Amino acid sequence: MTGVREPGAVSATRGRRQVPLPRLADPAAPLLVVEDLAVRFSLPSGSVKAVDGVSFRLDDGEALGIAGESGCGKTTTALSLVRLLPANGRIRSGSVKLFGIDLVPKTEKQLARYRWREISIVFQGAMNALNPVRRVGDQIAEPIEVRLGRSRDASRKRAAELLDLVGIPGQRASAYPHELSGGMRQRAMIAMALACDPAIVIGDEPTTALDVMVQAQILQLLERLRRELGLSLILITHDLSVIAETCDRVMVMYAGKVAEEGPVTRVFTAPRHPYTQKLLSSFPNIHADRRTLDVIPGQPPDLRNPPPGCRFAARCPFVMDVCREVVPPEVTFGDGVRVACHLYPGRDAAGPPPRVVGATRTCDAASSTDPAP
Amino acid sequence: MSLQPIAGTTDLGVGRWTTTGRRARTFVGRLLGRTDGLVGVVILAFFTVIALFPSVFVGPLEGVLSATGQPLDSPSLAYPFGTDELGRDLLNLTVHGARISMVIGLLATIITVVIGSTVGIVAGYVGGVVDNVLMRITDFFLVLPTIVLALILAPIILDVIGAQAELFGIRSTLLVIVIVIGLTSWATTARVIRSQVLSVKERMFVDRARVIGSGGGQIMRRHILPNVVNLIVAQSVLTFATAVFTETTLAFIGLGDPAAPSWGQILNNAQSAGAPGLGAWWYIVPPAAAVVLVVLAFTLLGNALDDVLNPKMLGRR
Amino acid sequence: MSAHYILRKLVQAILTIVAIVALNFVLFRMMPGSPERATKNPHLTPEFIAAERAKWGLDKPLFPDQLVAFAISTAQGDLGYSIKYRGQPVVEVVADAAGPTVLLIGIGEAIAIVVGLWLGARSGWRRGGVMDRIGNSLSLIFYSMPYFVIGMPLIIIFAAGLGWFPTSGMTTPGGDKGPAEALFDLGRHLVLPVTAVALGLIGAYSILMRSSIVETRSEDYITTARAKGLPDALVLRSHAFPNALLPMVTLIAINLGYVVAGAITAEIVFNWPGLGLLTVQALDARDYPLLQAIFLLIAVSVVFANFAADIVYGYLDPRVRA
Repeated sequence: MTGVREPGAVSATRGRRQVPLPRLADPAAPLLVVEDLAVRFSLPSGSVKAVDGVSFRLDDGEALGIAGESGCGKTTTALSLVRLLPANGRIRSGSVKLFGIDLVPKTEKQLARYRWREISIVFQGAMNALNPVRRVGDQIAEPIEVRLGRSRDASRKRAAELLDLVGIPGQRASAYPHELSGGMRQRAMIAMALACDPAIVIGDEPTTALDVMVQAQILQLLERLRRELGLSLILITHDLSVIAETCDRVMVMYAGKVAEEGPVTRVFTAPRHPYTQKLLSSFPNIHADRRTLDVIPGQPPDLRNPPPGCRFAARCPFVMDVCREVVPPEVTFGDGVRVACHLYPGRDAAGPPPRVVGATRTCDAASSTDPAP
Repeated sequence: MSLQPIAGTTDLGVGRWTTTGRRARTFVGRLLGRTDGLVGVVILAFFTVIALFPSVFVGPLEGVLSATGQPLDSPSLAYPFGTDELGRDLLNLTVHGARISMVIGLLATIITVVIGSTVGIVAGYVGGVVDNVLMRITDFFLVLPTIVLALILAPIILDVIGAQAELFGIRSTLLVIVIVIGLTSWATTARVIRSQVLSVKERMFVDRARVIGSGGGQIMRRHILPNVVNLIVAQSVLTFATAVFTETTLAFIGLGDPAAPSWGQILNNAQSAGAPGLGAWWYIVPPAAAVVLVVLAFTLLGNALDDVLNPKMLGRR
Repeated sequence: MSAHYILRKLVQAILTIVAIVALNFVLFRMMPGSPERATKNPHLTPEFIAAERAKWGLDKPLFPDQLVAFAISTAQGDLGYSIKYRGQPVVEVVADAAGPTVLLIGIGEAIAIVVGLWLGARSGWRRGGVMDRIGNSLSLIFYSMPYFVIGMPLIIIFAAGLGWFPTSGMTTPGGDKGPAEALFDLGRHLVLPVTAVALGLIGAYSILMRSSIVETRSEDYITTARAKGLPDALVLRSHAFPNALLPMVTLIAINLGYVVAGAITAEIVFNWPGLGLLTVQALDARDYPLLQAIFLLIAVSVVFANFAADIVYGYLDPRVRA
């Protein structure tokens, strides 16, 4: 698509990007840098520290997977980038710098400029995420018309093209969401996310509600789009195999904090944080006949009143006294992996990760694959 | 005429209705901590006291013969609410009206809630053909203009049981209103309770209890009822509002008992005496304000109860 | 909308009407002055009673013969004769009174739907805002007021007090009026009764629409619309409102029975020559055939209104339409 000229807009583009950057953008700045983000939800029973001191970075064309049990703050982290939190959620501190522009201090009105045009979202379970009483094509065309100021006809035409791109015949644009299958709806949702040619697409459990065959198709589609369009992707899922197949880097979260973050190849082959180790070993190995399923005993802490030290301490097989009192600092290793754990005290800590012993048990394949209780 | 209880139309079916000890202790505090809960309770406490002891405040109910004032006198020191066309003290009538209106409302509510809850629980728990038949009947009563039906039913019932009959010291004219409101307004309650029962039924422990060998009736009493009792409480309070409202309407149309004037009956007298056209505002304002305050208070309290007993999730993620 | 859907709703409506006619039959047999009771007169000989019973078909079983005969005459518009109106067929009496009531309720509903839905949507969208606090409090108060309780102060203030509008009736009696003048006269008479009906309804509709919008607001597709960076007003107008409207269609139709009952009380207050006033006259005279006819007409109208609402719902919701 061709760029829309804004008065005074910087005409600089980045890589494949054909839409001009926001006026305040620093062309040299990284795509997205999140620093020390903290989000709280206020409930009648207290304040929930859902995201606490989360930092990460996303470069052009990169795919970052965010993993963790449900309730660990992965969706909250992603939604707070464009502040789509429920009414009781607030960003307490930190910065979200897109092209070097901090989005946190922006007003709701200013922020609207960045929604969808810069950061779009493929929501989980597209049945509920699509408006049931409006045609799919119109829902895709809507941001093109409203946000990019195209004519209605041009927007409709573009919507049909986008549907084609994600593998839905263009004439299905006149269908209503309930007339499409789950996989088709998710494709339409992806087409909608691409409508304004955004800098970043966030996938919030985009394959969770789908059956296995369709999951694979959607993942292939995302792979293809990434390759062809050079998308920068943030993929939120509890399904580690999805991240292994799709992402360059992975960030494992536990109870609102980053446990471990680094290149997928490193983290998945040599996990350092005990939680990552548990998470990976609890995940069934597709190639094995009998699956080794490691169940993590215990529950995540109550985030209204988190423990003073490491939040994983109560469930950690390697727990030390210091873990219960001091929040572990983040340590970055030479291979680009960042870990927050007292097992790695020094800055340039080296050596093989400790092996998990004792807590492993063998289960039948039929057992739950979800480590969360 | 207004609507059925408001909460009956909101999504009551999704919440959890468990009563833990902690929740029970904080229940009163949380109810009174809300503006609507507090206002509702205060207004109702006021009218309940008046309804319980009307004679303590204004002496016995004034009749046609015991009227002491001049006809249609505007408010004065002696008659702060003025007098009606027979010279009766309107303060006296309004205070006694509280007892009549609220007793009718209470009895009608009991009938409504008992029928509605029974139908809702049985339909929701038994399911199948029974559910289908009961819900068709419920839908029929929902669509039916029940108040218009009441206008035919009331004189017929009155004719059958006789105008002079009494039950529990309540004259048959009033009793007819009670029965008619009860018989014609249970449908909303039945629908609301049923949808809650359906979601309770889905939960595991019902299956467990059934496996152990309890009969259907026992499961409904021991397992279903405790889980919908909060909803029934909120629904009852809202039904009370509707019952007082309906009683006022029926009495105004002419089904009331002139010898035991409810607020609706006083307004009927006012209309017959031509009070609006004469500008006799004092004849209309006290009973009208009383009706509005009581209906409003029950509606506020019902919604507050609904919210407190059925906390909705604030955040989704 | 599929033919199947329309057909199913039509069958439901017809079954409901059949049930109403059956109910009317039961009432007819119960009421004072019914043939069953008239034959209990001790002064009549058994032979005479038997002959009369045979003549009127009362010797046949209640079901199906008598019920069917009753249903057939109902369908033919034979609902008996009025006691109060000296033997006039009740159908004629009711037909004369229906027009003014339809006028009153029609205008009141139209105003209330537009204003009530708008008010409720605005309140619910900005829950806790100034508009919500004021609007919702007023709505609750009007919701708690029977129409006649709204109407009486209107008369005292605007008719008896300020003299802006007539206190009662539908037309000013006497005098030859041109068409424009007659219409103006009708309009002046309409203002207060319509206001009473509309205010009560606005209270109810805005409360219901508010809760519908509040529920819709937390739907995922609203988050999607917000994520798209659409202006707030557009999210409300083209995403929240159309969805929140769906339950309202059904509620407005279901509520119609109550509106009619409420309109009866408003007619009494304003001496409006419609079904309400007729109902009171019939009630005072214990004119049961007339009461029955009024009930039948209102009940059938409400059933048809619900059928119409189902069709509108099907039109608004593509999930039903398909």
